Amino acid sequence: MDTQTIKPSKYERFRIETKPAPHVYQIPNKFDVSARKVRLAAMLVHEAFEFKLNKEVVLSRPCIYGVFGGRFGGFKPLKHKCVGCMRCVQEYPHIMTVKQSDEYKRLGDSFWTPEAVFTIWNEASTGKIPVKGMGYKGAFGGEGFDGIWTDMSEIVRPTRDGVYGREYISTCVDIGRKPTRVDFGKIDQTPSTVEVPVPIVFDDFPALDFDVWNAVGNAARKLGTFFVTHDQTRGEDYRERMIPIVDDNSIYETLEKRPSIVEYDGERSDLFEKLSDSLPSSIVIARVPLREEAGLVACKLAREGAHGLHLYTDYHGQDYSEDPRHISESLKEVHQLLVKKGLRDQVTIIASGGITLAEHVPKAIICGADLVGIDTTVLVALQAEFLGETRKRGTYKLRPRKIDQAWGTQRLVNLFGVWHDQLIEILSAMGMRDVRRLRGDIGRSMMDAELREQSFKGIAWAT
Amino acid sequence: MGNLELIVEKHSERIHHGLEVLPTLRHGLPAGLGNKRWTAELILATYEMALTGDLPKKGLEYRIGDSGGGFDVLGWKNNGFPKVDQDSVDLSISLNKRAEGRKIEIPLPIYGGGMSFGSISLNFILARARAAKKIGTYTSTGEGGYPDAIVPYRDHVITQVATGMFGVREETIQYAPIVEFKYAQGAKPGLGGHLLADKVTSEVAKMRESSMFTSLYSPFPFHSVYSVEDHKKHVDWIKTVNPRALVSVKVSTPTDVDMVAIGSYYAGANIIHIDGGYGGTGAAPEIAKKNIAMPIEYAIPKVHDYLVSEGVRDDIVLIASGGIRTADDIAKAIALGADGCVVATAEAVAVGCTHCGNCERGRGCQVGITTTDPELSQFIEPEWGETRIVNLYTAWTKRLRSILAGFGLKSVQDLRGRKDLLVRYK
Repeated sequence: MDTQTIKPSKYERFRIETKPAPHVYQIPNKFDVSARKVRLAAMLVHEAFEFKLNKEVVLSRPCIYGVFGGRFGGFKPLKHKCVGCMRCVQEYPHIMTVKQSDEYKRLGDSFWTPEAVFTIWNEASTGKIPVKGMGYKGAFGGEGFDGIWTDMSEIVRPTRDGVYGREYISTCVDIGRKPTRVDFGKIDQTPSTVEVPVPIVFDDFPALDFDVWNAVGNAARKLGTFFVTHDQTRGEDYRERMIPIVDDNSIYETLEKRPSIVEYDGERSDLFEKLSDSLPSSIVIARVPLREEAGLVACKLAREGAHGLHLYTDYHGQDYSEDPRHISESLKEVHQLLVKKGLRDQVTIIASGGITLAEHVPKAIICGADLVGIDTTVLVALQAEFLGETRKRGTYKLRPRKIDQAWGTQRLVNLFGVWHDQLIEILSAMGMRDVRRLRGDIGRSMMDAELREQSFKGIAWAT
Repeated sequence: MGNLELIVEKHSERIHHGLEVLPTLRHGLPAGLGNKRWTAELILATYEMALTGDLPKKGLEYRIGDSGGGFDVLGWKNNGFPKVDQDSVDLSISLNKRAEGRKIEIPLPIYGGGMSFGSISLNFILARARAAKKIGTYTSTGEGGYPDAIVPYRDHVITQVATGMFGVREETIQYAPIVEFKYAQGAKPGLGGHLLADKVTSEVAKMRESSMFTSLYSPFPFHSVYSVEDHKKHVDWIKTVNPRALVSVKVSTPTDVDMVAIGSYYAGANIIHIDGGYGGTGAAPEIAKKNIAMPIEYAIPKVHDYLVSEGVRDDIVLIASGGIRTADDIAKAIALGADGCVVATAEAVAVGCTHCGNCERGRGCQVGITTTDPELSQFIEPEWGETRIVNLYTAWTKRLRSILAGFGLKSVQDLRGRKDLLVRYK
């Protein structure tokens, strides 16, 4: 072949460039190690006799992580090095105590567990998937996402390239309305959709700090995703990645700036008409709170022509029903009603609220979302400070600290990188090579409540 | 004796002493010990059983954890006075129910799970092999090769054939009374294996025919198996190399685990070994442990019922693993439909594991279990480890007999599938 005719490929493998972005604000030690000092001194004297003043043996410490490697050994342990292995307690139970630190136990709120906060911090800091030894340590199942297991395939693999093949699993999703059939009269009009390489956007979150918003905007640009905001002055330098939430006050500004995607309150059909008339090339998404009648509202909006639905709950993932349900339940209900009415493929569903860990992304997609929005998780990644319960939308109980924009950007890029990798782990285990196939695929999941009834059928309740 | 030996001896002696003292609760329940699955009490109770060979005397909870589901919310309908003599209760099971092939029976419905050389120390491997020999059961090599040191125990060692094929040779297959195909592992289903670089010492690298201090991956799945027919070729291969070996197929617990089981049966397997998600691992992504594939408690009845409905249940052995921590878990697994269980983490706890989950870090386990560090490995002397594991199983034997005798059952085989003997707690 004539080498002159070979054109360079435009193909670029999608990569999220993670790199360390260490914590700027000191994080608490997970473990608190302490020694009873008098007993420690007595033990040293005893061992000095036992080992005939052999300093190396007497001072050899019961820790391989260097907790007692400081100048004062066990009298002033280097607490930040403790990983809770308990060897010092095993060797000297009368002297040593290791427990979870009070500062660690105080992290988060009633929804954000200390473990979840720690996980997000470490993911944002290292950009690496959490890998640990031994088995699972937590509760058996639980409510919401905790009660869902994803499927795996014993023999099917999306690629034959082992771990390297994971790079060929697509995590792209489209935002926008998709035509259900080809209209030959409008064949020149391409579908109005925007592709994002990861099924995650930044949802609106309660912070006024411009550095935080600029970090979010910059991260969205680097990642090729979007951020949703009700205040268009935030992250303004990254306007092309912004999804403004439009209201009466901001509509004219929005019309002028012509964003590629725009959101509005799903109850305001007048706003939808204005937006779709004035911004024919923009994707118009209705924000709909999840509650009892959300399915009917979603069907109505889909029929009226909304391009997408942004379904949301409070920040703890509880919907707004009289008897609140987890987002996994109400999202599934809306998705299934749209499927039943033949409307599901016409609209994109973004789901927000309570998406705080990597596993929530595939599980929300299994429940019917195309992609998810993250909110308080963004602030946790940026080491914001919990001041109380963060449940209510708009509440400012998660106070951002002063951050450097570049640092904040990298933390968020790292978080997305790690979540992207973990999404790929889940997809590869399932033998799937495209996240779009996962949407609403409840058959490839296992629900705690259902399995319990099937497997424990015939077992009587204890009286 | 040099200082290094003295240091090892000092810490080894201190650790062993601590394992004796801690269950007495003389210094209270260690605050930082344990978690929902392996509670502090369960860990200490296991230490005590490994020390005494008897059930805990001082009220430590040795039957269940605190996970709020699965085995932890199941109890026994009747646990009154024994209706038969406990000593007469037979706990043996057969590992080959097919008409053809070698007949192998084990005296307890338990054998040891695969833990590879590299992920655990050679001394711990030896302790497990010695214990298996003493009890008359089996332990498994895992996927790390077959160290020469365990050849003397080969009649009690299962050779595992996994996707990385590390250490799989003609002679290691010929040694084995049972060959285990590992298709997947419960703690990281669908993801293959990963031995972190720090643990790949020269000995490990030599055994696995790889380079030192380079991470080793076992790919997923077997690239030569994409159907039951392909799997049968694997079984045939083993039976050609070693016609006397029984074949076990270890799989994870997907939604179609029942179909996988029946496929394995028709491919010629003697044992279908299902491994639930809450089992152990040397290293696995945290997301995999909790979220992929169903817990073993749900998978057992699904497989058992399906094999019954297909009319082949009495021709294949169903073994469960992945979160089996206690004798009660074993009995409950059998009542749900298994024939027996594979145990691994509990053996590690017997020799001092705290379930802290730091196995994958630098030097590995601080008490010499999941490590290849030459100094740390010495904390587990094979004889000492053997005694602890044998003691644990002896205590479990007593508990299993007590449960069975409470129902008037004379054989553990009579417990299989007896869900009616269980109760559920809210």
